[in-house]
Amino acid sequence: MSGPRLLRVVCYSVLSAVFAAGLFAEVITHYSYASQFREVPNAAPSAMHLLGTDSLGRDLFTRVVYGTRVSLLLAPAAALLATAIAGILGGIAGLRGGWTERTILAFADLSLALPLLFVLVALRALLPLDVSPILSVIATFLTLGLLGWPSSLRVVWAAARRLRESDHFLFATALGYSKTRLLLRQVIPNLRPILFALFWISIPLFVLTEATLSMLGLGVMEPLPSWGNLLRGCEDFSAMAANPWRLVPLFVLIVTVICFQYILPTSGESA
Amino acid sequence: MTTWILKLAQRLLLLAALAVVGGLMCATMVRFAPGFGVDERELDPRLSQASLQAIRQEHQLGKGLLAYYGSYLSGLVRGDFGTSAFLERPVGELLKERAPFTIRAVLLGLLTAWVTASALALLTVRFPSWMLDSSATAFTGFLIALPAAVVALLCVFLRLPVFVGIALVTVPKLFRYQHNILAQASAQPFVLAAQARGVSRNRILFRHVIPVSWHPLAALLGVSASLAFGAAIPLEALSDSPGVGQLAWQAALNRDLPLLTSITLFVTLLTVAINSFASATHQERS
Amino acid sequence: MRQRSWRFCLLLFSLCFVLLGRTQTPSGGELHFCLHGEPKTFNPILVDDEASENVRYLTGGVLIRVNRQTQTLEPSLAESWKVSNDGRKITFHLRKSLQFSDGTPFTSEDVAYTMRLLMDPQTHSATGDAFRSGEGSVNVQTPSADVAVVTFPAPLAGLERLFDQVAILSAKSPKKEMSVLGPYYVSEYKAGSYILLRRNPNYWKRDAQGNRLPYIETVRLDIQRNRDIELMRFRRGELQLINRLDAEQFDRLQKDNAAAARNAGVGLDAEEMWFNQVPSSPLSDYKKKWFQTADFRRALSMSINRADLARIVYFGYATPAYGPVSPSNHFWFNSSLTVPKYDPQGALALLARAGFHFDNGTLKDSAGNRVEFTLITNSGNTAREKMATMIQQDLAQIGVNLKLVMLDFPSLIERITRTFDYDACLLGLVNTDLDPNGQMTVWLSSGEDHQWNPNQKSPATPWEAEIDQLMREQAALANEQLRKAKFDRVQQIVAEQQPFIYLVNKNALSAVSADVTGAAPVALNPQAFWNIDTLRLGAAGQLGANK
Repeated sequence: MSGPRLLRVVCYSVLSAVFAAGLFAEVITHYSYASQFREVPNAAPSAMHLLGTDSLGRDLFTRVVYGTRVSLLLAPAAALLATAIAGILGGIAGLRGGWTERTILAFADLSLALPLLFVLVALRALLPLDVSPILSVIATFLTLGLLGWPSSLRVVWAAARRLRESDHFLFATALGYSKTRLLLRQVIPNLRPILFALFWISIPLFVLTEATLSMLGLGVMEPLPSWGNLLRGCEDFSAMAANPWRLVPLFVLIVTVICFQYILPTSGESA
Repeated sequence: MTTWILKLAQRLLLLAALAVVGGLMCATMVRFAPGFGVDERELDPRLSQASLQAIRQEHQLGKGLLAYYGSYLSGLVRGDFGTSAFLERPVGELLKERAPFTIRAVLLGLLTAWVTASALALLTVRFPSWMLDSSATAFTGFLIALPAAVVALLCVFLRLPVFVGIALVTVPKLFRYQHNILAQASAQPFVLAAQARGVSRNRILFRHVIPVSWHPLAALLGVSASLAFGAAIPLEALSDSPGVGQLAWQAALNRDLPLLTSITLFVTLLTVAINSFASATHQERS
Repeated sequence: MRQRSWRFCLLLFSLCFVLLGRTQTPSGGELHFCLHGEPKTFNPILVDDEASENVRYLTGGVLIRVNRQTQTLEPSLAESWKVSNDGRKITFHLRKSLQFSDGTPFTSEDVAYTMRLLMDPQTHSATGDAFRSGEGSVNVQTPSADVAVVTFPAPLAGLERLFDQVAILSAKSPKKEMSVLGPYYVSEYKAGSYILLRRNPNYWKRDAQGNRLPYIETVRLDIQRNRDIELMRFRRGELQLINRLDAEQFDRLQKDNAAAARNAGVGLDAEEMWFNQVPSSPLSDYKKKWFQTADFRRALSMSINRADLARIVYFGYATPAYGPVSPSNHFWFNSSLTVPKYDPQGALALLARAGFHFDNGTLKDSAGNRVEFTLITNSGNTAREKMATMIQQDLAQIGVNLKLVMLDFPSLIERITRTFDYDACLLGLVNTDLDPNGQMTVWLSSGEDHQWNPNQKSPATPWEAEIDQLMREQAALANEQLRKAKFDRVQQIVAEQQPFIYLVNKNALSAVSADVTGAAPVALNPQAFWNIDTLRLGAAGQLGANK
């Protein structure tokens, strides 16, 4: 097998393994992610605890596995939402032109300029207190999705504009095809690769935004683990030298994102 | 000549209007967000009823949101950006103190990012091999994968100034875009023709590929600038640097309405200006 | 020829310099440490946050100083003072011939000016509000340049100690509040970055040998919010001192630099949680009923393993707390209170008595509702988040489903002071004052800070009525022993009714580098630099002088 192909195969397998670990968490580990073994906080890896325990005595391996479930299974949902919104708005802006285009672009720029972290903080505080941890996770990722579209919008818009100015589109319009036919036969097939690429790129980005949120203490509700709140254990670098296993969540995050980068379609991405 | 000036004036006016709208939208959001008008001092058991009332009054918007819009706009015309509710100093002064630090960090960060990304992009296009490509992808993937918080901590731990953090965050995307542009240019028919004629690779790169890619690369300036600026804010806040980012984060945490409004106004102005400059050069080309 | 003479002069010059240096008192150097926030004001009257308070401690001169080590009063700017029998008047005899940092002479006029400003209702000073004992204004008379008589409208318990917070302002100096009587004055201030303090040339205190204090020439205060960064810089030697150290950081420091890690024992600060008992809150009726049932609160208090909290969250640098007063507050602590044990079985028995039943691992009330509620706390405080997570597990053992929500501070305050839309809250109390009289608004049912049910028109329960009466009585007494008896009873009621469920008393932890001589960290704030004027830089052996 050639080099690049081998690399892609490796990446796909790694990603599948990570996804599978998240899906089949109950099978891989028999501990609960919340049970605290208070006699052994901050323990080193051992037969009982493969990656040791965190500061409250919870098995770190279990938490990494369940954290994968939260981060990797819900980030695509947020990415889907954001890409869908960017696709629709960007498509309309690019295809219509004129004032519609200008308004939508201005709206996107305004949304980009608004302090995102503040909006997240405020939205988090607006949630009723009584929601279950699962619902709070879904709400967090929904919010990320609803706020994450502005940066993708310009890419879709640029592609839609190129499409509008392209020869085959002009030809099709001149032939008098109906709007629906244009949409189904011209627009969607041409924008699909861009949207697909955006979707893939957004997934690691949302995982990271959730991670930053968690490091600020505003992410997923305790005791649910996510890669973000597992990363909070990395805050002290001097302790890392003594407990290198604490870096495992960061390592898993990096490996996953790098794998995504390798399997992403890279052509067609431009400013 | 006059039409050009008129167009420019129209553009600038639009920019200013958008910036003001951005600022006021932010003001509305902050006003209606939970926790507005609340001060930590309220929990101090020493305060008397009268003092408590006074503190609560301080943080109210007086005659309501619309009146606040009016007073803010009239202040803007005079060049007065209001007074911070929590730091109790004029916003203009606060921004003037901290802006140089942020601007310096962003400019230095951009410079470093461009130098690094360009070097990498040129390398990968000059010596096309999947190994070099994969290593570059791995390196940039690694940089993308680091959450902003971790980058900030790394900078502090390794005693690096903030601009290195900004560069680290900007390099991956910049490299990718540059690589694509250069790769696309290298795939053009005239480049292939030059290769067939036996022109040296270096000459092709510098005489054929780069000159064609000037325009899209220049447009990248806009994108990278807004990337760098966007990264500056969380990085500064997380590494405790005395820049605008930290100010913005503190303002958000405290629901400091006047400060947040003005900061959003400037950020909107910057973002919209950069983006419209980028799209203007794009349009000129096409 | 010229070269030789030039070299000779240089030699002579440097010799003079060295000799001169020898004859001066061992002093100088720059002490470098951090403030954990931006000071909001340099005006000592308006101080209401920790950073400003620390700056005030370093720059302000006070009439009476509470010695942070012995917890007793010492004369400072006032050589002596006398409190009248009715507790309403205090007469200060001031030190003579003192000057502010810019040379303006210090007289009783300045005391009058400061008190006037402090008590001005328009100023809304928290320090001033602590002096408000009753209706009417405070009167200051200055019969002579070094005597000041302050008269209050009503007797004030613990009057003298309150003057530790009053830094005297100059009535006449053109520099206003920047002209000070303390050991240092603010020389440079770069917002968001640092404050540079320089030695006050006119500081009145001298050491036993008659040398001028303070020894250290300048103090650089960096504004650093991030505690991890602060610790990193301390380890590198950039900082010589960390004033309040987190338990986790202390533990790390202890491991590789035990001499620098100073544990001053149990501090005054406590962490506590409480249930929302406000009758008009938007909670459902059955929840209100739970929270208003004393047995419910007592049972939950009994099911929390405080020893684990102290051991795991604070690495052993905390002790379980059961009441509002920390054992390090020697005088006011009620040592006769029985310490409740961690007893989940006993808790279940108590709950059964109150009509709850425990089946299949779930606790249900008499109407069949599952006992589940939310605990809010502020995000960004890892210790509190960890405690909340551990409490969640503890309560799960008795079948209570506790949900945790971390909110940013303004949203949290809004919920606990305005909307009352919360079930339970976990927060910490920072005690700066030993005297419980400063917490009237916490214990009075009509008080704003009576967190579980503030601003009551009349006491909702008989025990709150009893606390109201006891607190009012102790405020009117002058005899400290009598006051203590009353406050002991308040502590007993609190232990029985558990309106606040106290969790731990944190240790007072600081870090002091080997470069600093004379540091003796204590439990009262400022822990590490309370004796700033007698601290020295440089290893002890180098300086020769001891202390």
